[in-house]
Amino acid sequence: MHEVALAQAVWRQVGAEMARRPGARLAAIRLVAGRWSGADPESLEFALRLLVNESAWSKVAIHIRPLPLGLTCKTCGHAFEPPETLLACPACGGRDVEVTQGRDLYLESLEIEESDGPTHPPGQTRRCRK
Amino acid sequence: MAQRIRLAKRVVAESDRLAARLAETFQRAGVFVANLMSSPGSGKTSLLEETARRLAPELRMAVIEGDLATDRDAQRIRKAGIPAYQINTGGGCHLSARQILDALDRFDLAALDVLFIENVGNLICPAEFDLGERRRVVLASTPEGDDKPIKYPVAFNKADCIVLNKIDLLAATNFSRDAFLGFVRGLNPAAPLIELSCRTGEGLDAWLDYVRAERRAAAAGAPRTPK
Repeated sequence: MHEVALAQAVWRQVGAEMARRPGARLAAIRLVAGRWSGADPESLEFALRLLVNESAWSKVAIHIRPLPLGLTCKTCGHAFEPPETLLACPACGGRDVEVTQGRDLYLESLEIEESDGPTHPPGQTRRCRK
Repeated sequence: MAQRIRLAKRVVAESDRLAARLAETFQRAGVFVANLMSSPGSGKTSLLEETARRLAPELRMAVIEGDLATDRDAQRIRKAGIPAYQINTGGGCHLSARQILDALDRFDLAALDVLFIENVGNLICPAEFDLGERRRVVLASTPEGDDKPIKYPVAFNKADCIVLNKIDLLAATNFSRDAFLGFVRGLNPAAPLIELSCRTGEGLDAWLDYVRAERRAAAAGAPRTPK
């Protein structure tokens, strides 16, 4: 249920990025959700869609790419994708392993379009009065 | 023409920033801070009540309580003899670094040896949010079943200390101690595992020694080692 809070955090980051690019139109948001990030991609997309729909950029596409768990053995350096319940190296049997992938939820990228036409989102077009 | 802006930014970056600030504050004050996590009803509050009663003569302690509603847990802790501050999260499923920062106004950290943060009873979201704590303590209890670790692997993997409570009820449940140990070690080979019963007091000494040792390390300025 904390996907709502996560979606709000994503949306704030998106807003900050877009504020630095006046004139750009947001086309897509790309996220990566690690298997152990604690974020359910479906719930996250639902929550983010609600925020997007309320904004001036309601046509934005949302892509959430799931990322499997990845471990690296600290003993022999072998990198592997473990079953979720036993974190042991299949090469040397070592148990001293590091989670090297799949723990994070991150904002991977944004797709924007630099338009030649009106640069403000619909409903916010302003006229130059000079 | 569409253009892609690569960001690769952690969504909880803002929360991490606040947690780092908290960790620094705790380290400077030399206070041992433990973040207690478990399902509802595993015995987090009971463990803190027993800790308060037994360690109050030697350590100055306080508790930050997190619950969706009511201040019942904070009342229990105060009754056990130490200060407690209750945070009600409303619908929130975990305590946030921001809430802890705000709660710190209620305490004089310099006058504390140990600060316990009792997180909202939930093994999912609390595991994701760093609160600047020195140690993450995850509790389980025998009536919950021996397979809790593999159902909530993230919490058990990231735990610095694992407490198994209600061992007095072992005979009354079909909890397998061996199965539990196997599951825990499959996810977390090194964290200390302390088996105890808050009701009978069995095993509590090992927990109290753990708190004492961590407090000494924190007071000596030892940095935390987050996983």
